[in-house]
Amino acid sequence: MAPIYLGEFEYAVLLAILHLDEDAYAVPIRELIEQRTSRPVARGALYTGLDRLEAKGCLKSRMGDPTEERGGKARRYYSVTPSGLKAIRATHEALSRMTKGLETILGNR
Amino acid sequence: MNFAEQLLSTVIRDIGLRESVIGDLREESARHAARFGGASAKRWHTRQSLGIAVRYGVMRALRRKPPVRWFTIAAAETSGPWWTGATRDVLYAWRATTQRPMLSVAVILTLALALAANSTTFSLLDALVLRPYRFAGVERLIVATTVAPEDAFFDRANVTAADFREWQAQAKSVKGWATYQWWDANLSGVDIPEQVPGFFISPGFFELLSVKPVMGREFLASETQQGQHHRVVLGHGLWTRRFASDPQIIGKQVRLDGELYEVVGIAPPGFNTPDGAEVWAPAALTGEQWANRRAGILGVYGLLQDGASLEQARAELETIVDTQRRDHPDTNTKRYARVMSFTKGMSDPGAGAFVGVWQAAALLLLLIACANIANLLMARGAERTSEYSIRLALGASRARLFAQTLLEGLILSMGAVLLSMPFIGIGLALSRASIPASVLRFIPGWAYIRIDLELFLVTAALGTVAMTVFSVLPAMQAMRTQVSDTLRQSGRTLTPGRNRQWLRSTLAITQVALALALVFASSLAMSAAYRTVNGVLGFDKNGVLVAQLNLPERNYSDADKRRRFITSVEDSMRTIPAVSNIGATSIIPAAFNNNSRRFFPEGVELKEHEARWAQYRSGTPDYFAAMKIPLIQGRLFDDSDRADGPQVAVVSAALASRYWPDADPIGKRFRLALDGPWITVIGVSGNMVHNWFVRQYDTVYRPLTQVAPYSVAFAVRTVGDPNALAGDLRRAVSSVDADQPIASLMTLDQLVEDRAGGFVFISRALGVVGLIALVLSIIGIYSLMAFLTTQRTQEIGVRMALGAGRWQVVRAITRRAVFITIAGTVIGAALGFGAGRIMEALLFEMVTNSIVTLAIISAVLAVAALVAAYLPAQRAARIDPMAALRES
Repeated sequence: MAPIYLGEFEYAVLLAILHLDEDAYAVPIRELIEQRTSRPVARGALYTGLDRLEAKGCLKSRMGDPTEERGGKARRYYSVTPSGLKAIRATHEALSRMTKGLETILGNR
Repeated sequence: MNFAEQLLSTVIRDIGLRESVIGDLREESARHAARFGGASAKRWHTRQSLGIAVRYGVMRALRRKPPVRWFTIAAAETSGPWWTGATRDVLYAWRATTQRPMLSVAVILTLALALAANSTTFSLLDALVLRPYRFAGVERLIVATTVAPEDAFFDRANVTAADFREWQAQAKSVKGWATYQWWDANLSGVDIPEQVPGFFISPGFFELLSVKPVMGREFLASETQQGQHHRVVLGHGLWTRRFASDPQIIGKQVRLDGELYEVVGIAPPGFNTPDGAEVWAPAALTGEQWANRRAGILGVYGLLQDGASLEQARAELETIVDTQRRDHPDTNTKRYARVMSFTKGMSDPGAGAFVGVWQAAALLLLLIACANIANLLMARGAERTSEYSIRLALGASRARLFAQTLLEGLILSMGAVLLSMPFIGIGLALSRASIPASVLRFIPGWAYIRIDLELFLVTAALGTVAMTVFSVLPAMQAMRTQVSDTLRQSGRTLTPGRNRQWLRSTLAITQVALALALVFASSLAMSAAYRTVNGVLGFDKNGVLVAQLNLPERNYSDADKRRRFITSVEDSMRTIPAVSNIGATSIIPAAFNNNSRRFFPEGVELKEHEARWAQYRSGTPDYFAAMKIPLIQGRLFDDSDRADGPQVAVVSAALASRYWPDADPIGKRFRLALDGPWITVIGVSGNMVHNWFVRQYDTVYRPLTQVAPYSVAFAVRTVGDPNALAGDLRRAVSSVDADQPIASLMTLDQLVEDRAGGFVFISRALGVVGLIALVLSIIGIYSLMAFLTTQRTQEIGVRMALGAGRWQVVRAITRRAVFITIAGTVIGAALGFGAGRIMEALLFEMVTNSIVTLAIISAVLAVAALVAAYLPAQRAARIDPMAALRES
């Protein structure tokens, strides 16, 4: 099966989930992306993105326990699936192949 | 739960995701509250929720997952001017329609097919039966004639000149009159002589019908004078065909019946009144002819006086004719006035029954289609129950939902109307192509078989009405939705209420029943059509070339001259090796003309009107051989049967056994008129079908040597392709008389086929209608069963979890289908049998009801319906019980 190529935003979401590891649910994912990319992320976009990635099989999710601070609602934790990982690698490689030879222009990565 | 969260839970269907999103927002808004205060946090929360809801909703909409609830909200009821609401409703309906493309396509296609069948038929009905004549003011025109009370068939050109003159002078309710008189004109002086249908008409004939010649003028009153009457108006078709549309033709001379006529006008295209006329000449009756009260020669049209009604004219003419009957007892004793509207008087009596049967079938098809659509829409309605609930919960009025559903129906029907147009185009093209050219000119109104604005409007109206009526069922369903169902957000599908199930079953039963009746009726028509062309005819139609012609009375008033013409043509053809036999008769089977006489057997005292009719033919002895009509008893004609000898005849077996069932018919005598000569039977021939419209096997054949007809048909049996001899036959005729046209030259099987052409076409059209009906009803059962099965998935899961076997599941599910099938088949069989009886009566007894066929078709339909029901059931039986139970 050909690897799934990811959109920029999807790529960012997956990377954020890898970073967060056990703690990856929507609130910190969004905060992390906003911090690192210094770009605002709409919550709606994030949820639909997560939904889409899960539908593609790049993510899987599990429900946490309901907590008091959330008004009795559970968290939904995400983790990257093997095929999600494959997609991240494929996208990363594709991008780095594209940037190869442009180091002088792009500057120190 | 506040509004924003309710919105979210409406939009996000996945329970886990919904939980987490709402939780995330609460978590974050709590943090927000800590920094900026509660009021700000609340605003923030609402804003974010809305944002997510919209985003998520858009994504879902683009993915076309079933019921997209966000739009429900977008279309939520608000105050404001009515048109904002209306626009939203239309938009919403449009989206609801496009959201389930397959379903919408199914509905549109179903309706489009049914509409196409209806509009095609309607166009034919309208063109051929309802409005074959579309002159301006045709509704003010009448046809007046006289009939004898015992005549079954009325002859509309049957008025004597003297009678007519009195009508003209006395009738006050009629403003203007026109007459016509039959004239089979013989056009010669051009390469091939041609017999053209013509009429001698009164001046003002065209004006009375509001028809203006496209070139030239019509006749002047002075042109009815002898000596000035050699003027002619040519039909547009004839002018195009034979005179290459010569623009300079006015004032030129053409040769008709051997005499020169000056062309004074060209009729507009398509005008061929009466009876396919192609030339019109002024009627120049002499004073003596005008005084004739014996010969009914005139066809009479009248234009009603302003303010006078058809009934008034009828009453007035009846009075006049009654007076004439009293005043002229020697001639008028059997004349009774018959006054009709022009359209009724001039229409083809046969077409109505055929097209009527077809139209009835098409309407049934529409019913089936509508039942199907209603079922589909109700399935969708059930699916959308929760959507309706939410809208109700959000404050929509039930009336609004009702209107909404109707609106969706309207959008679908618009699609169907548009899609039906190309189908109608195809249907009409096929209809036109199916009418043989030889028949065409006798069919008034065929030029109006086309798609026009009227037809479009009729189609649109029909589609809209049908759709509206059948959208009401799902709309009612929408109205009944209970708000209490609203927030059963588990998504647990609801088993529809008993009522609704019954309604849907009834629809399915109706479909099956109507489809069965239709399929059966069309099979009857098709087998009858097949028999008409290929059945037992009593003669061998293969390998025979037939030339029909009419010898003009002017040149051939001498019987010997007619006989000489016939024998010369026969002799000339006999020299051709490929001709195995040639015979001549007065009227060939499947011809358009007919001749019958009353039959008076010797020894039975019969009054004129008590005698039965018998077909009357004359023929040469070789005619029987050429047609392969068997001689059963006695002998055929021979040279000893001379004009001045004893009058003899060969009669058909049916006639012989009717009148002399126990005696030897040979030597028996009969008369064909009370004062006629005695005729002796010398032979008995096999029965044959003259044509299917006149079911009359009693036939009398007279020898050509004793009866020389003006109407002659040569039957040439050939070795090899009969068409190859067409040129020889043409040359044989023209070598005997160069000016004699051949009216029709074609093979006998073509003749038989052409004659049955309309019937064959209608039967095929019925077949198509029946087939569509069959497919629709089976789809109907399938979709109903598939829907019910889906709804019962959980139940099935429970059953299987509790140990039910696959077959038990299949049985449980198909039970309803079995019931529907049995009920539908029984009702359908009864309907079909009734329809068969009606068709037997309507279609000239050409159709024979057949129980065996009915049984076979019922069985086939039942099996097909059960298979359609079995498929979803079998799928259901494969369900993994755990999956079914988990499924929400």
